[in-house]
Amino acid sequence: MSMRLGPQPGEVLDRTRPFTFTWNGREVPAYQGDTIASALAAAGVRVFSRSLKYHRPRGLLTASFHDPGCIVQVDDEPNVRGAHRLARPGMRVRSQNTWPSLNFDVKAINQLAGRFLSAGFYYKTFIRPRWLWPTYERVLRRFANGGEVPPEAAGDYYDKRYAHPEVLVAGGGPAGMAAALAAADAGASVLLVEEEHQLGGHLCWGDEADLAALRGLSERVAAAPGIEVLCDSAVLGRYEGNWIAVVQRTVPGVAERLVKVRAGTLVVASGLIERPYVFAGNDIPGVMLSTAVRRLINLYAVKPGERAVVLTGNGDGDAAVADLKRAGVTVAHIADARLGDDIVRAHGRGRLRSVELPDGRRVDCDLLVTATGWTAPAALLTMAGDRPVYDPRAARYFPDPARLPEDVLAAGGIAGDGSLDELLAHADAVGAEAARRATGAGDGPVPIPTLPVDAHPALFRGRTHGIVDFCEDVSSTDLVQAVEEGYRSVELVKRYTTVTMGPTQGKLEAVNAVAIVAEATGRSIGETGTTTWRPPYVPVTLGALAGRVFEPVRYSPMQPWHEAHGATPLVAGAWIRPDHYGDPHAEARTVRGDVGIIDVTPIGKLDLRGPDVPKLLNLLYVNKWSKLDVGRVRYGVMCADDGVVLDDGVTGHLGPDHYLMSTTSSGAATVWEWVENWLQTQHPDWQVHVTPLTTAYASMNVAGPRSRELLERVTEGVDLAGEAFPYMNVRTGRVCGVDDCVLWRIGFTGELSYELHIPAAYGLHVWETLMERGHDLGIAPFGVEAQRILRLEKGHLIVGQDTDGLTRGFSAGLDWAIKLDKDDFVGKPELAWQQEAGEYPRLVGLQPLDGSVVPEEACQIVDPPRRADRRPRIVGRVTSSRMSPILGRSICLAQVDAHLAAPGTQVTVRLPDGRHIPARVTDHLAHFDPTGDRLRV
Amino acid sequence: MPTRPRPRRYPARYSAFSLLRHGLAGDHLVPAWRDRELKNSYDVVIIGGGVHGLATAYYLAANHGITDVAVLDKGYVGSGGSGRNTAILRSNYLTPEGVRFYDRSVRLYERLAADLNYNVMFSQRGHLTLAHNDSSLRTMRWRAEVNKLEGVDSEVVGPAEIKKLVPYLDVSAAVRYPILGALYHPPGGIIRHDAVVWGYARGASGYGVHIHQNTEVTGIDVAGGPNGRRVRGVRTDRGDIAASTVINCTAGWSTLVAEMAGVRLPIQTFPLQAAVTEPVRPFLDAVVVSGSLHVYVSQTDRGELVFGASVDPFAGYSMRGSLEFVEGLAGHVLELMPSLAKVRLLRQWAGLCDMTPDFSPIMGRTPVDGFLVDVGWGTYGFKAGPVSGEAMADCVATGRTPDIIAPFGVERFAEGRLLGEKGAAAVGH
Ligand SMILES: Cc1cc2nc3c(=O)[nH]c(=O)nc-3n(C[C@H](O)[C@H](O)[C@H](O)COP(=O)(O)OP(=O)(O)OC[C@H]3O[C@@H](n4cnc5c(N)ncnc54)[C@H](O)[C@@H]3O)c2cc1C
Repeated sequence: MSMRLGPQPGEVLDRTRPFTFTWNGREVPAYQGDTIASALAAAGVRVFSRSLKYHRPRGLLTASFHDPGCIVQVDDEPNVRGAHRLARPGMRVRSQNTWPSLNFDVKAINQLAGRFLSAGFYYKTFIRPRWLWPTYERVLRRFANGGEVPPEAAGDYYDKRYAHPEVLVAGGGPAGMAAALAAADAGASVLLVEEEHQLGGHLCWGDEADLAALRGLSERVAAAPGIEVLCDSAVLGRYEGNWIAVVQRTVPGVAERLVKVRAGTLVVASGLIERPYVFAGNDIPGVMLSTAVRRLINLYAVKPGERAVVLTGNGDGDAAVADLKRAGVTVAHIADARLGDDIVRAHGRGRLRSVELPDGRRVDCDLLVTATGWTAPAALLTMAGDRPVYDPRAARYFPDPARLPEDVLAAGGIAGDGSLDELLAHADAVGAEAARRATGAGDGPVPIPTLPVDAHPALFRGRTHGIVDFCEDVSSTDLVQAVEEGYRSVELVKRYTTVTMGPTQGKLEAVNAVAIVAEATGRSIGETGTTTWRPPYVPVTLGALAGRVFEPVRYSPMQPWHEAHGATPLVAGAWIRPDHYGDPHAEARTVRGDVGIIDVTPIGKLDLRGPDVPKLLNLLYVNKWSKLDVGRVRYGVMCADDGVVLDDGVTGHLGPDHYLMSTTSSGAATVWEWVENWLQTQHPDWQVHVTPLTTAYASMNVAGPRSRELLERVTEGVDLAGEAFPYMNVRTGRVCGVDDCVLWRIGFTGELSYELHIPAAYGLHVWETLMERGHDLGIAPFGVEAQRILRLEKGHLIVGQDTDGLTRGFSAGLDWAIKLDKDDFVGKPELAWQQEAGEYPRLVGLQPLDGSVVPEEACQIVDPPRRADRRPRIVGRVTSSRMSPILGRSICLAQVDAHLAAPGTQVTVRLPDGRHIPARVTDHLAHFDPTGDRLRV
Repeated sequence: MPTRPRPRRYPARYSAFSLLRHGLAGDHLVPAWRDRELKNSYDVVIIGGGVHGLATAYYLAANHGITDVAVLDKGYVGSGGSGRNTAILRSNYLTPEGVRFYDRSVRLYERLAADLNYNVMFSQRGHLTLAHNDSSLRTMRWRAEVNKLEGVDSEVVGPAEIKKLVPYLDVSAAVRYPILGALYHPPGGIIRHDAVVWGYARGASGYGVHIHQNTEVTGIDVAGGPNGRRVRGVRTDRGDIAASTVINCTAGWSTLVAEMAGVRLPIQTFPLQAAVTEPVRPFLDAVVVSGSLHVYVSQTDRGELVFGASVDPFAGYSMRGSLEFVEGLAGHVLELMPSLAKVRLLRQWAGLCDMTPDFSPIMGRTPVDGFLVDVGWGTYGFKAGPVSGEAMADCVATGRTPDIIAPFGVERFAEGRLLGEKGAAAVGH
């Protein structure tokens, strides 16, 4: 049966654009401008969903964004606010939480059991037997209320934007519009944010005079140059420093956009939200708020019922009566709460049949309208530090302006009552004052008039018990019971019953809940306090919060070559670099036999200049740095204040007062911060200038017995002969025609090798030239995996792999480097203490007796128990392990307890499958060429 | 003090039958715990009505018959971390001492509903810590190996197995941080955190323990002498209370309270944030954690997705959430499960975490005689409630530090015996 009315003066429908969409598979007609709910209501639909616990049928309650009765699934989008979302041609809308269908819901059996599903029932049941709980839980999970997310749901497009208005006005009702206009008049830039699809707030569903006022305000807002309007948008939260999040849903092609606003002043003009009344049957479809029927009739031309009973405590209820009559609804009874009238309960199953009055009479009807008072949506104000105060005369909360920071103001209905003119005057002053505070212009504070407070009957719960939280299916008896059981603070009642914890987050039910707890505890509403409003004000998609995905990737300039030559990528933090080019063992053999080349661009590089660089190096490294001649490089280790190994690398003395420091690839950012931190906070007087050069250089290591021969072919201005450019030296010169290259003769791989730092733009050129000129020498690229094998053969530790968050210097085999006789250095006291204590784990070389077994990294070294019923004790662990191609056996580094560190000690390694294998501690950390002859040639 | 266990005395037993009776007869409900007069002296005063304080009180009474105990909280019970955490329980830690300790706690949790006659809804649906690079995979293997040696069910699993456990995860190599493997810990899961707090409160109250909410400790009386300092009692905003034993169970506020007794702790307090979505049909059984992406996700029985991350970068006592947090969080969640883009975030909040340098707690005696601490719970202490309560109660009743908490003494910092759990606890949960 169609409930669509003829054209209404304020309707938002475009009747020239009809279309259809589907509701649970059925075609439903709609006009452009209809919400899902208004189209369904016009089509005669009254039941939209089933409630959480009892699976009771639910209809429209507020007919607004916050309507808990009309949360639906739209295509693959769950939990869509059906009373707000505009209907679109072809959209597939389904009810949620119903099985097998909306009208016949099997789970509604819970209604029968309802008397036992009281507050916290699940805490008191399913306790024994314990093994049954997982089964109970599976059933409970089936009752979870919410839409579906298909695993392969299509990704929409999301975006973000920054805005810097001087004044942000939250709420585009008359007060918000007036505040925005006043602020713009005063010269401020204004962002005006409105949750509904159009500006106007309650004027939109008002009478002729309201509509005329709305037209006037709208025209002025549209004409004002400094106002940007965002409709169908919501202010989500106000954070420190007026950092404000807004979600905007109107950008074409963008599902939701997060607007991040730094506002000079925030004006909260969010109006008031109508409060439901608590009585038996208050959730039967057909029971609605006065604003809901006024919206349905005036905005959407929907007749909300045929025969109505109205409970009114204020002018809006009276206006609803007028609207109903105009729409042809029979108003069978009016209960005026201001005169002490009331209703007792609503009757009907699935739809309203009658309303019981205090004198016992039953009035037949299919619509019950309540107008029992208001809730101030104070979320944004409380996020700014406000604590709303309860005013018993008006039966609602008001903001406490004294607690608000300078940059937040409240305007209009949230701040007080009054005629439209009074509200506009208030908002006008607030808007001007907001502009003044944001811009500093004008002469002195703008006086803000005080709004009157109208008396309103205190209507929270009637003489029966009913639903308080419609999302969570929490009734007033649940709240009373929670209090009886000792959960007396509102916060505890909230947690125990879950009242205010559902999708409306308290906007409809918080005040009723507080009033009922107050009643049950014998305290006043003021004493009872409120629960905390937490952001976001309305739920926002993860997509909008995430925005477009920006995950930066770092590549070296040689990346195109790697890709063209079949490199397998390795994700290493921000970097993606070659792991290997097919056969890491062959790559390692090339380095040992001929010459290999590896891209080491991610190595951290810091250019250090100034007379005090040696002081800095002496402070941060555990070894000595005072005497490092120009042209020399030195390996250094940094420890943190607690003596734990932080990073290692080499630093070279390039020229007078000029050094280049290298760090590990993963430590590049940390070390830069570390260096700056010590300089800026502890030694601001030192003359050191730090420039990170990590990506300014393309870095490559040319390693292998034939590396010198190769470099001699391409290097100018540097004598590469062994005596002229010995191990641990640095030179600068021209390589492959490129000037200002830095050459370090160092060797992580244990071979004769040169690390080249090439101005990044020429990296690919140098790499390709080396590959070409080295062809006859057998050159091949090698990746990270081959490098790991080679360094393990040489026993070089990797910080973070062979050390962990507790490995202090002496446990990392760095005894030779740590110079406790230095004046001071970071970590010295801890390291001195460690050495004194003596009993610390050590890093050792380790070889399984059976060289064909490679124990996985992180295998534990155990002390096997003497008795079978005891657990083995952990005495160490394998930190690195590989099969060595040159030695043809497995090799490891391990951390072991002190008593096992002596060379030759046999230990037991426990493999992941539980087997124990014997292994021996080697003489040196290096498994290959322990004396280092190869790198000194 | 007596150390004989007492029989349990609940005000009213909970069962389906008692609910039925209430439903039919509508008889009055019995309070879960009682409001009592604040006395001016107790044997034991416990500061902090979170899970640690209440569990300690409960085990003092239940295991040792010590019932002249008051639990004081400046707010309501569970108003601190115990009511703000993401309720993940697990024992897949890194150090043998840690693994043993948390394993005992998980085992106590497994029978807690029956012990307390209060369904705490411990849902052991498994716990997965994802590894996106070989160094975290190595840490996962390290944890798995230590866990297995301590008898805890943990193993490293590969992408195929992960996909089977959590079909919504994108395990392809095409993502920015591919999933290489995970530490799978079947006994891990989530619990109703409030229920644990209330269950312990009800249990303790049933034995006669006093629970005083809205009672703030403002000072601690310590008597000094040549043989050391000794605690005398506490001062509160409702009057002074004498006590020979005072236990600090105030987590995020623990340094402030310890300082009242002149005890300095190597703890810094950091905010930790979390967020929850609107309910959607349950699709996620396991808890999923990603260290590299700094995020973890679980789904409650109500269908809400609960998210958490690492502590905020700066120390402080602010309990307000930040926008940056939810933005980063959402990005990381979608990196893991792209199909969740349309799910809506419902609420965000923050709590305070008392972080120690080594990510292990500080428990037991202090230089002030009679003043004990059960603190340093950082981002991970909810799961430790039962074992801590049991051990602290032992410590008070017997005067000896039980083995299971001996490694966690405050003296370890002076002795250089740190217990590094960062590798198992950096993403706070
Ligand atoms: C967002 C978040 C997520 C977390 N997730 C997890 C998780 O998944 N798993 C996990 O195991 N842990 C988690 N944690 C950590 C966990 O919440 C805490 O470690 C744990 O709750 C600590 O419990 P508690 O009883 O020691 O302290 P709390 O519960 O914080 O209780 C301390 C109490 O002391 C009271 N108090 C403080 N000062 C005074 C005073 N002067 N006088 C009287 N009373 C006082 C406070 O009001 C408070 O109620 C998380 C924490 C947060 C914040």
